[in-house]
Amino acid sequence: MACLSDETLIACNEGSLGAIEAARVRDHLLLCPACRETAAHYRLLERALERPQLAMPPARLVPQVMERLFPAAARITSIAAVAAASFVFLVSWIYIYFDFSSSSLVQALRLTTDGTTGWLAGIIQGITSVYNGAQAVRKALGAMLRILFPAPLGVVAIAVAILGLSLLLALTVFRPRLKKAKRT
Amino acid sequence: MQLDEDQVLIKKTLRGDRKAFEELMRKYEKKIFSFVVRMVRNEETAVDLTQDFFFKIFTVLDKYNYEYKFSTWAYRICYNLVIDHIRKNQTQVDSLDDEGVTSHDLLASDNVSREDGFKALARAETRDYVWNIVDQIPLKFRELILLRYIQDLKYEEIAEITALPVGTVKNRIFKAKEILKKEMEKDGMLV
Ligand SMILES: [Zn+2]
Repeated sequence: MACLSDETLIACNEGSLGAIEAARVRDHLLLCPACRETAAHYRLLERALERPQLAMPPARLVPQVMERLFPAAARITSIAAVAAASFVFLVSWIYIYFDFSSSSLVQALRLTTDGTTGWLAGIIQGITSVYNGAQAVRKALGAMLRILFPAPLGVVAIAVAILGLSLLLALTVFRPRLKKAKRT
Repeated sequence: MQLDEDQVLIKKTLRGDRKAFEELMRKYEKKIFSFVVRMVRNEETAVDLTQDFFFKIFTVLDKYNYEYKFSTWAYRICYNLVIDHIRKNQTQVDSLDDEGVTSHDLLASDNVSREDGFKALARAETRDYVWNIVDQIPLKFRELILLRYIQDLKYEEIAEITALPVGTVKNRIFKAKEILKKEMEKDGMLV
């Protein structure tokens, strides 16, 4: 009887032989020391392969991917900063445009704080004087620009402010995604 | 349709659950990294490629088809990524060619005294020794051994991942084992 091929012995070790073929191999191995030895060698190899020692990835691997995927902290703070800046900017413009410094609310606020001292009065006085200053600058600029442009300055300024801020906000939201896309 | 553990994690990830994706990465990082590091044989490159792989998986996760096993789909992406990298940086020199060079060239620098007989080596050492040879066989054999034993895949799955016919996969794995056995015999490992 011819000796077994390497292929047959490997298949036998993998358990991929049919029942009849496996029985034939078993019979031959009982009689043939040479094939028995080869079979033993393949068995040893198979055992070593079946228990690979997996390499340990560095601990930074997963956290770095998460950071790359979700640059979350940076994005939330920058959106919050832009939103806060937009709010202050728009409120300032509306305040100046509608001349709130002479409105009854501000007058009332001023009256209540005139007599009092302390940090609240200081803040209100500070804000009012900043707005009064801005108001004076606006009036001067307005007078100058009205000669050049027919549209009211306040409307143009608010429109420009809204447009600029939406652009800034859009950039803050989409820039991380653009960066991410560029990296891939 | 009954979803398996991986598919549940994918669903959660697609709904915006970051922890779910982290869990998925943790589950596969060891196997993927082990495969990649033995393919490229450089730890830093392997870290970069493994990270690129997870990044890529995340970006194409919405294209995953639930009819297939996630692992097979992911391994195919991983395999293609690594093969692309190797092709672009073709500097890999395999110590063993197809016919198998002498083991003296192979392990000459190792401070292992071969003559004392590897017979006496413990089983864990046999395993390390065998995997050391695996690292040095040509890529076309090595990749299949890695997919079969590191990723624990069936011949059909390996064929799907490598786009090779099942017969070729089987023949190459048999040939790889012949090379490995020959090397072990040469080294007096098997007496
Ligand atoms: Zn025989």
